[in-house]
This record gives sequence, structure tokens and C-alpha cells, in this order.
Amino acid sequence: MTPLLLAPLGLAALAALVVPLAIHLRRRTEEVPVDFAALRWLDPLPRPRRRLRFDEWLLLALRLLLVAGLALLLAQPAVLGWESDRPQVLVAPGIDAAAARAVAGPDAEVRWIAAGFPGIDTAMPEAPGEVSSLIRQFDAELPEGAPLAILVPPVLAGVDAAPLRLTRKATWRIVGDAEPIRPPAPAVPALAVRHAAGQERALRWFRAAAGAWSDAPQFDAATGDALPPRSRVLVWLTPGRVPAAVTDWVSEGGTALLGPEAELAMPAASTALWRDEAGRTLVEGGPVGAGRLMRFTHPLEPAVMPELLAGDFAASLRDLLAPPAPPPARVAATAFAPAGGTPPFPLPPRPLSAWLAVVIALLFLAERWLATRRGRFAA
Amino acid sequence: MAHAPLTLPPEVRSRLKRLRLRTRSDLGSGGFGMHPSRNKGAGLEFAQYRAYEPGDEPRRIDWKLFARSDRFFVREAEEESPVAVWLLIDGSASMAQADRARPDYSRLDAAQLLALCTAELALMQGDRFGWIGLREAGLMVADPRGGRAQIDRLQLDFARLAAEGGFPDAATLAPLWERIGPHDLVLFLSDCFDERGIALIERLAKAGREVLCVQLLTVEERDFPFEGGYRFREQESGAALIGDGKALREAYLARFAAARAALDERLDAAGIRHVTAFLDAPVDAPLHVFFGRGVPPA
Repeated sequence: MTPLLLAPLGLAALAALVVPLAIHLRRRTEEVPVDFAALRWLDPLPRPRRRLRFDEWLLLALRLLLVAGLALLLAQPAVLGWESDRPQVLVAPGIDAAAARAVAGPDAEVRWIAAGFPGIDTAMPEAPGEVSSLIRQFDAELPEGAPLAILVPPVLAGVDAAPLRLTRKATWRIVGDAEPIRPPAPAVPALAVRHAAGQERALRWFRAAAGAWSDAPQFDAATGDALPPRSRVLVWLTPGRVPAAVTDWVSEGGTALLGPEAELAMPAASTALWRDEAGRTLVEGGPVGAGRLMRFTHPLEPAVMPELLAGDFAASLRDLLAPPAPPPARVAATAFAPAGGTPPFPLPPRPLSAWLAVVIALLFLAERWLATRRGRFAA
Repeated sequence: MAHAPLTLPPEVRSRLKRLRLRTRSDLGSGGFGMHPSRNKGAGLEFAQYRAYEPGDEPRRIDWKLFARSDRFFVREAEEESPVAVWLLIDGSASMAQADRARPDYSRLDAAQLLALCTAELALMQGDRFGWIGLREAGLMVADPRGGRAQIDRLQLDFARLAAEGGFPDAATLAPLWERIGPHDLVLFLSDCFDERGIALIERLAKAGREVLCVQLLTVEERDFPFEGGYRFREQESGAALIGDGKALREAYLARFAAARAALDERLDAAGIRHVTAFLDAPVDAPLHVFFGRGVPPA
């Protein structure tokens, strides 16, 4: 613990100590007049008084303390090295708290890896999205030399792409059994085609694609303007102007694929989403509000767009329409052991101004109580 | 300045009932009645007429008045007592001194209250009483009488009596000698700081009057509770002394005690019963010393 002042010049305010001293200096010239009939028995030559005398010592001391405290407050006192060197243990959510406590030992401080690093005695927090970032933060805020152990499950979720590099050699412990990883099945888009009468030829590409995605294809086709629920992908083949209802439907979270004859100003952020081998843009589009809007740029004719006949048309269309997959965030814990060697960060001193302010407030109250008490000037 | 009329606290009034005004001459005589009277048959100085009430003695009816007015009137007379009580109140400026702890209760207030107590006492037992305000500008004299009206006069006179100036000199005091009868009881209420006051009561005592002296002292004069720098001012001469309370205290207390002892001795030698009353004590305490069993009320 090293006390220090962040703004030592503030101590110049200690000069104000003169003020209470001056107030309490007994003023020799000021004499309280009092009528006294028995004057003749007063000794006309009293002993000379001492030179410097102060009245009301207790009040004076309080006031001096108050001024000194204010000066100290201006100087912003802080303390370095206030951190404890107890071994620290971080536990990833998902590990049983009792097991973690048993592994960590009795005198370690055990905390969850979560925002604010709550103690292990609190309820298990939800798995955070940024485990590796939290580990780095905790390590950076830990004083140099404090041992750190990290308990993780065999498969750690919520990590980012960078390997863990910490300021110390942390103990990396894998607790618990590996759970079998079940990769989620790829999402199958459900298509809802809206077309004009006479466009049935174009329907078959989408019906075929839907049939290729799943044994129980989710596909409906209709003429007219009826909009499907937003969980489905709208394929709008009707030529001509696209109604505002469709763009509203998209901007509130829907996904729509427009035919080449649909007339609509594409969003400014449109990019080419699908190119053929020659580099021609087949589908362009971009986000609109909360949804996505895409458009075929070429007529859906095999003569113009041979990809319709290609074997991977269904897969390409699915990739185009399926929502983007989340970035990979899981890692086998054995492969994610942190390395040491990052230069340590200097820890900021802890400011003591708040505590000092409380002390000053108490001093002030005591001073007011003393200074305003009844009968102060009676004697 | 308008004074509220003096009032006696109820507990003081009830304590007064235990007291009897006695003069020294009473103590030995042991005769019938409170005071030995020279005029037997109660001095019938006319006081007032009042309507006849059943139970009045027929011989007290004023028959001449009945002849004139055809109504019964009873002649009432003041029963005259041979002893008059004189209340001598020092009206010099030093009597205005009060304690800072109780600035509205000066020595003069205490003296007037004590005088009122004595007057009530005299009224209760039918003695006449009068008073003399000892003012430098001139005495305020009220001849002894009995009756409730005398109390009202006393209230009026005391409201006008302010403590100012010094103690009256011999010339001013001259009328006093004509008034105070040879066997009268004199109650002297003063701070007894003035030599002329002491000389006056010594002379009175020597001339055969029974003199009781109450020295009224403030608490500050007794305890000298001063801390720090003060400018002590004497009211009558205007003399001042600047000093530190703490430094002055010890010498003052010693000298003041010596002065009081000397005064006690002097009054004892003159045959004057005397008592010291402090402003924080019950106002009637001196009367209990003089007229009660000698035990002042707690």
C-alpha cells in the first residue's frame, strides 16, 4: 500500500489553516463590557497575560482538521498496491460451482467469467459471448504476481479468433467431461412464390430447389399480393412495380427475392451476391431495414442463365436465402491454453476522495454542532 | 419604561403565611397580641363606610348617618398598629446590576420583590408599612399605612423607582429622620457597597430603631465566573478596569470575602441583624432568617 497524491499542488490549500487559527486567536483588544459594582475589590494590577492564546480548543481542532481535509481532498489522495495477492480462480459458466470450489482450494478467490466477475457464491450467470475478452480483462486488472487459474469445460464457447496471451502464466484447467457436439442441421428456407398468371414456367426452378433441400418441401406458389409470414422467403416474380406492402414487409424483417422484371429501386448498399463463372452478377441485393432484399438481374431462362440447370443450383440458392451463420465461437479447451509473456499493465491507483469526502462531511457536522450549541457564548 | 406590576410567585406567597413580623421588643414582652400597644382600644382612624350586613354589631352602626339617609351604614375603622415597617430601598445605579445568565432580574428587582413580600406580611397581620426609595435626586417617601390600597401605592411607586445615580448624601437623607419613629422596624435593602448606606443604618440602629439589613449580591459577585478579557465598569463612578477574568478571580474572591467579613463584623457591632441574599436564591429567604425559624427555604 503506497499512499500518494495525484495533485500534490492542492496541498497549497493548507495555507488556509491560518484562517481558523486567526478566528480563534484570543483578541486582546476586544473586551466584553460588563457592569460590576464590586469593582473596588478587583485587583487593579492583574498578572500580565500570556502572549498567544486560543479560545475553544476543541472547535479550533475540528476546524483545522476540516481545512486540512479539504486541502487533502484538493490534492486527490490515492493509494497504490491496494490489491490483494490471493490466488485468483476464474470459472467459466457451465462448470458446477461446488466442483470449481473443490478444485480451486479454500483460500482462493473464485469468480465466474462474466461481466463484473461475480463471486462463485452467486448464481451461475449466463454464458457470456466474449469469454476470451473477459479473461484478458481480468488478467490485465490483476496485480503482477497474483497467481491465476482458469477452470474451463472441455469445449469453450464464446471465444474470439485471437489466441489467449496473458500477462502471467495462468493455470489452465479443464474440468468436466466433453459433451458430444451436435452440429446444427443447416436451415432450410421455406419458399413462398408470388407470380403473375402466365409465369408458371419460372416456378419450376424454385419448386425443384425446394424439393432438393428437403424431403418435405415447404413451398407454396400463388398469384396475387398475399404476403406470407416473415419466417418464409418471399419470391416475387410478378413483373412491374413492386407494391409498397412488399418493401414494408421486408424492412420489418422479411427476406425477399425479386424476379428480374420487378421494378424497384434497390437499396444503396446493394452488392453482387451471386456471380457466374464469367463474372456476371446473377443476384444482387442488400439489407433493407431489418430484412434483406435480393433481385435476379437476368431473366430466369436457361438460355440466359445456364446456372438454372447446373447441379448446384439448389445449394447455391439455399446459401443465398438462408440466414448467415454465426461466426465460429467454440474451441476445444485443450487447444486454447493461454500463453504468458504480454507485458503487464500498470494498475491505476485507487482514489480515496470519496472516503475523504465522507470524513469531511462528518467533521463538518461535528463542527456545526459544536459551533451552534446553546450556551456557547454564555460564559 | 413600563413595568409590569410586581407579582409574588405562589410558592413564595404560601411560604409567607408561616412568618410573623416580630420586633425585638416583642420577644421579651410575651403580652397579649402581636405587638404591645400604647393606645388601648385599637386606634379608630376612620377608613370607610359600608352597608350594614346581618351580623354586624348594632353599636357599630352610624346612627347619625342613618338619620340622614334612612339606611344603616357601618363605620369601619382601620385598626392601628403601633409598629410601622419601613422598607428602605437603595436606588443607586449599582442596584441595576443583574447576572448575565438572568439579565431581566436585577438587584433592584430582587429588592422590590423582597419589599413586596414584607409588605404582604405586614398587611396580613395588620401592621402599617411605608417605604423610602433612596435616590440621589431625592427620597421617594411613603408614610406607613395599612390596607390593601397601600400595596397598590407601593406597586405604583416601585414602578417609578429606577436605579440611577449614587447614594443620597446626608442632606438628601434628612427627611428620613423625621419619618421613622423610635420603635419602627427598618428593613434596609441594598448591596451595602456604599459607605453612606452603612453609616445611615448604623445611625438608625444607634438611635433605637430596629434595623434589619439585607445585602443583595449577584451570583457573579459571589462566584466571579468570568473567563477571558472583560471591561469591568462600576455604575456609579463610571470607573472601569480591563482585565482577564481568570487572572483576577482568585484575588477578587479573597478580597471580597474579607470585605464581607468586615461588614458583618461592623453590622454585628452596631446590633443590626443582617443577612446576605443572592439573586439565585428564593426571594423570601432573608425573611425566613429574620422572622421564621431561621431556616431559609430550599
